[in-house]
Amino acid sequence: MRGAALVATLALLPPLIGFHPYYVYVLSTAFLFATLATAWNLLAYGGQISFGHAAFFGLGAYGAALTSLAGVSPWAAIAAGGAVAVAGALLIGAAAARLGGAALALATLAYAELWRGIAQNWTAVSGGGAGLVGIPPLPTLAAVPLDLTRGHTGSYYVSLAVLAAALGVFGLMTRSRLGLALRAVREAADRAALLGIRPITWKLASFALSALLTGLAGGLYVHMVRVVEPDLVFGRFFSIVPLVMAMFGGLHSVLGPTLAALGLHLFSELLLHPVAPALHQLPYAVALIVVILYLPGGLASLAKAPRD
Amino acid sequence: MSAPLLSVRDLTVGYAGQLVLRGVSLEARAGRFTAVVGPSGAGKSTLLRAIAGALAVAGGEITFDGRRVDGAPAWELAARGIVLVPEGRHLWAPLSVRENLELGAFLPRARAAQDETLRVVYTLFPALEERQDARAGALSGGEQQMLALARGLMARPRMLCLDDPFLGLAPAITHRFGAALRDIARGAASVLAAGQHVGRLLRLADDAYLLDEGRVVLAGPGVALLGNERLRRTLLPLGPAPQP
Repeated sequence: MRGAALVATLALLPPLIGFHPYYVYVLSTAFLFATLATAWNLLAYGGQISFGHAAFFGLGAYGAALTSLAGVSPWAAIAAGGAVAVAGALLIGAAAARLGGAALALATLAYAELWRGIAQNWTAVSGGGAGLVGIPPLPTLAAVPLDLTRGHTGSYYVSLAVLAAALGVFGLMTRSRLGLALRAVREAADRAALLGIRPITWKLASFALSALLTGLAGGLYVHMVRVVEPDLVFGRFFSIVPLVMAMFGGLHSVLGPTLAALGLHLFSELLLHPVAPALHQLPYAVALIVVILYLPGGLASLAKAPRD
Repeated sequence: MSAPLLSVRDLTVGYAGQLVLRGVSLEARAGRFTAVVGPSGAGKSTLLRAIAGALAVAGGEITFDGRRVDGAPAWELAARGIVLVPEGRHLWAPLSVRENLELGAFLPRARAAQDETLRVVYTLFPALEERQDARAGALSGGEQQMLALARGLMARPRMLCLDDPFLGLAPAITHRFGAALRDIARGAASVLAAGQHVGRLLRLADDAYLLDEGRVVLAGPGVALLGNERLRRTLLPLGPAPQP
């Protein structure tokens, strides 16, 4: 508990002690990726592997951008983005009733590509390939000093709060009936059915929850970068990177994906990008290879004795 | 006589074109212990799995509590009260004993009574209470069998289907286990058990069926079957009478 309080305090500090706005921004995006990895891991908790989480990120991004551009408050717009992502998840989640393993992974990959195609061609709504610009920034809060809610500093605290919420949701899930059902279904769906646990109900629930967190992150992201484009938000980058972070951090673990996300993203952006821009995505590939060949349980397996 | 709780009529089930059940008919009554015995490969497990909805039915009818249930998915049948404890335990090895039992009581009806059922189950198997925080995979074979049965009971089934419940149990435990099953059949849930422990099952059974090559070849009260010449010939073509 004391450790958690210490981490929380440290996390609040960077904008206050004069970090350069660029570093504050990079840290904010690291929190966003940690949220995405945690959300991806929530789906994997029920044994479902997605290669297409960009679908939910992009739906959240477009949902929030369009709502915001219609004049609604960005806070409500981000919530609307989450809702759009959930709706999109229930569509593909229904396919999860019949698909599992690699087939589901490929279906999700195709699903993200499908939305990218729609966003590129449905110009009247999505702005086509050029996307949408002029998305307003996150509003400042009257109750809080302006310096804490403006610009990169504001985005920093909001993305930190979203990450904390995602970790809270994940932690509660592992202790809840949902978590128990997902563990049962992940190990043996047939056997769970013999006890009256309907696998699709719980698989859909984990799809919806995972997409909600991913969509909220997408909605927040567009209010940070202030533009949205199909190739950006529906691109494979947002499908694969959360997967790599979650697997490197440790499938099914609460904190592993966040640690992996922060470590990989900061290493890639702050250390590698300045010296070798062309190679800055290399850590993700290396992390994936390490997990597959040497560390199947990810970073989390280093911290505790392995459970079979 | 009242209508049977479970009635199977002319049931056929096959795997990959090969029929395993070739027109099986049987009945299981409420408040009774019904046993299905037969040589290995006779179709006992297939029969139980088909009744519990874990296998597709090729033909025939299954009626539970007056309703057709063949073709219904396993989770729906479990919700209606048919719960199968499959052969070979099939526990969630990484989960704790307690978590396995909670999974048993997942249905709303079972969950409402979870604490009460848990007391009953722990009275029946004190070893499970002592080890409730242990991983199910770390239990001994006998304890795992108890846990599998206990998990089935946690679902508050109306019809508990047991596939080879005595498999791998030490003789002393088998005896207590049998007594527990008979009590269950008289009170909590009707029992339909299949297995290879012919003597023990038939002595417990109110009603019994002999299954051979996918067909019922003999039916009657458990003890009556025990002395039947046909049963001896089917199970032990060359050997002596079956021992418990």
